[in-house]
Amino acid sequence: MTVAAAPALPARYQVAGRLAETDDTVTLDLRPVDQPIPPHQPGQFTMLYAPGIGEVPVSISGTGPDLRLVQTVRAVGAVTRALCACRPGRMLGVRGPYGTHWDVAGAAGGDLLIVAGGIGLAPLRGALLTALGHRDQYRRIVVLIGARSPQELIFVRDLGEWRRHGADVELTVDRAAAGWAGHVGVVTQLLARVPVDPGRTTALVCGPEIMMRLTARELLALGVPAARVRVSLERNMRCGVAECGHCQLGPLLLCRDGPVVSYPAAAPLLAIREL
Amino acid sequence: MSGVTPDELGEHAFLRGMTARHLVVLSRASWEAPVRAGQRLFEEGDAAHRFWLLRSGQVALDLHSPGRRGLIVETLGPGDLVGLSWLVPPYHWQFGAAAVQDTVTFELNAIAIRAACEEDPGLGYALLQRVMAAASSRLHATRVRILDLYGAPDAAQDRP
Repeated sequence: MTVAAAPALPARYQVAGRLAETDDTVTLDLRPVDQPIPPHQPGQFTMLYAPGIGEVPVSISGTGPDLRLVQTVRAVGAVTRALCACRPGRMLGVRGPYGTHWDVAGAAGGDLLIVAGGIGLAPLRGALLTALGHRDQYRRIVVLIGARSPQELIFVRDLGEWRRHGADVELTVDRAAAGWAGHVGVVTQLLARVPVDPGRTTALVCGPEIMMRLTARELLALGVPAARVRVSLERNMRCGVAECGHCQLGPLLLCRDGPVVSYPAAAPLLAIREL
Repeated sequence: MSGVTPDELGEHAFLRGMTARHLVVLSRASWEAPVRAGQRLFEEGDAAHRFWLLRSGQVALDLHSPGRRGLIVETLGPGDLVGLSWLVPPYHWQFGAAAVQDTVTFELNAIAIRAACEEDPGLGYALLQRVMAAASSRLHATRVRILDLYGAPDAAQDRP
């Protein structure tokens, strides 16, 4: 679902809030200082600029009052470490929004199944909030979240509200100590028990590519139509406007043709060792 | 505890496709057993004289060692088999198990069912196929967990 290209110049945003999700992941609440970026759709990303350090693509996790952006960043390099360290008041540059989106509206009338692994929940949060905002348009809304451990789950504070608004939320982790009330195991193990009608299900999947591949394979085995499985791919997005070519994945330029890609288009690319 | 009919057993995902004759044999060694949250089903090292088919609720397989909090190895839910060691000599549990929430199970007498399998290899083969499917599924899941499914890829640097 392609949307119109956004301006290439960054808009100034100020960090209005910062919430540490885990040891290495932070959610920033960004308030526009001047003209905000154009409206976005769930699944799209922005290029976040830490002045003097660099710019990285970051998915949009939601919006706040006064056209604020909610973006969740995991510290894996120099720029993301700088972004994670930002305190309220700090100025950042924002370009975007870029890329394709989850097409949440396209799932209306059926079941919506959201499967997230690790920080993959960040790009899906906006899709879930959109669907919960139109709860009556969907049959079941099921959210499956996998993480290494309970300490590495993000958006834990939101889970109660999502459930109150009509989502079935299940958590599973790889490792847990006694007292953990969720599941222990891989997220794909939960799929067979999900109370959805596979033929009427749209699945939105985001996480590491190996997780998405295994999840998609399981969904297809359960009878979810391949065209109704969407995954979010990432590569080295730089320009955001499909000009520099850094984010090429086979025939796709992911800053334009992704990050959200239907599984039939993504499947041949997910099994290639180097691309 | 109350008895279980062959039809009720046949509706459980683990036994789906079993012949009516085999379900009758299994039903004679089965009963419905509710398990309260926190109640332990078995302990590591104990003799595996029973096994369970989960109808609702959740059970955690766990491992304990001195000085450490108990570790949950895996959780099992509706449709799952609890217990593999009942079919593998020397029939001792490799892990412990406890209900995480109020759970309803079919409990089966492993000693009686092993004896029935000795008498009827067809029953033994049908059960072995299902236990192997469960074991294979758990082995696959364990392998995937070893892969660190949710970790950042080796090349990850400043991606969203």
